[in-house]
Amino acid sequence: MSKRSTLPDWFMLILKRDLSLSFKKVATFIIPLVFFLIVITLFPLALGTENSLLSSLSSGVIWVAALLASLLAVESIFNEDYRDGTLDHLLLSGEPIFILVLAKVLAHWLVTGAPLLLASLVSTLFLFLPEGLLFPLLISLLMGTFLLSLLGALGAALTIGRTAILSAVIVLPLSIPILILGVAVIAAALSDESFFSYLYFLGAMLALGIPGLCIATTEALFINYE
Amino acid sequence: MSNFQVIKKWLISMGSPPLFFMWASKFLSWFYPISFLLLLTGLIWGIGFAPSDYKQGEVYRIIFIHVPSAMLGQSVYLMMAIFGSICLIWRAKLAGIFLRSAAPLGASFTLIALVSGAVWGKPTWGTWWVWDARLTSTLILFFLYAGIIGLYSSIDNKQKGDRAASLISVVGVIIIPIIKKSVDWWQTLHQPSTFTITSAPSMTSDMYLPLLICVIGFYSILLSMLLNRLRAEILIRERNTSWVQKYLNNQVRE
Repeated sequence: MSKRSTLPDWFMLILKRDLSLSFKKVATFIIPLVFFLIVITLFPLALGTENSLLSSLSSGVIWVAALLASLLAVESIFNEDYRDGTLDHLLLSGEPIFILVLAKVLAHWLVTGAPLLLASLVSTLFLFLPEGLLFPLLISLLMGTFLLSLLGALGAALTIGRTAILSAVIVLPLSIPILILGVAVIAAALSDESFFSYLYFLGAMLALGIPGLCIATTEALFINYE
Repeated sequence: MSNFQVIKKWLISMGSPPLFFMWASKFLSWFYPISFLLLLTGLIWGIGFAPSDYKQGEVYRIIFIHVPSAMLGQSVYLMMAIFGSICLIWRAKLAGIFLRSAAPLGASFTLIALVSGAVWGKPTWGTWWVWDARLTSTLILFFLYAGIIGLYSSIDNKQKGDRAASLISVVGVIIIPIIKKSVDWWQTLHQPSTFTITSAPSMTSDMYLPLLICVIGFYSILLSMLLNRLRAEILIRERNTSWVQKYLNNQVRE
């Protein structure tokens, strides 16, 4: 281990490790999906099954369910490594932690966030999403869930080893702009306007959020290890 | 340059808990009464003697509490972010203690602003709550405070709690403008805002002066309460040091 690895090596190492670990446990990507679908099912039960009502609420309901599912899923991102001591070794390795965080979040998003997109396809049938909204819904969820994973990772790093609900209370108010912009994309598409301005804004938040939130998460990890 | 160095030296000396404690005690001994006096003057003038509004009647008088506390709710968060970054960058002990003392104050002023706004809204708008952009972002601000308080109070190690709270308040202050902007958009998307508080009628000086005094009074009472809370927190944290023992012995003897 005398030779220091290059950044892409280190990134791929963590990414592959986390991916193969989560593929060994089917539960890691099944549970957020089932949670998402259960939340979706609760709404018709609470609001009634009238098609027009559900159809008008569908995009908002799908977004809220996706937000809750991805935040709750990412909550455990550091827990396993923290408990068995792997995280200590990774932090002491001298490799850039910034890259570690990015790779872990990406791996986590690939196994929990990306399947949510598929599940939202199913949920559009449950909630009678209006015609023509499928593409804006999917593209806004694609960008939004990755941002939510980054935010959730910050909350998870701050509250390592504590209750999940604390992390949710910290992170949920900060996730409001993502929700608003995600729903704005769909609302614009519904009224036949161009929704790309909102997508650009989501993209700008991603561009700022990837470095910014990774730095903050790194700092949060070190705060826990003093 | 020498002037700058004197200020720098003073600031660094203020970072030491015992020196700061003594300075704060001396400062509060005359500043606390003054801030009380200012607050009382402003409130009595505003609530008792200012002319009533020709449209809203007497209800408008709640602005003498509502406006200053809404201002404080926002500026305390800004202060927390500034001291939070000091705590993260220079690891100044006092900055972390500041954060811990300021957060509950900021949260309660935000809550006062929300409640007094609701009380004012009922007779004037006919409803306790409107999903107006400003109201919504104030509510979100309150949630941010709640998260920070929850975070540091769940961490037993005080220094760790300070730094975690600093980190989240710095992240929050970067995201707050985005939240505000997006809430404005959300407003224009979903419904035209039925009520605007932004277009305030130009006030006469009889109303404006007491409001100004109220704002100054609220800010100075905030400073006094903050320094007092800082003093208490310093005493708790440094309870095992000799200067605290000496100070407490002197207090008992007097």
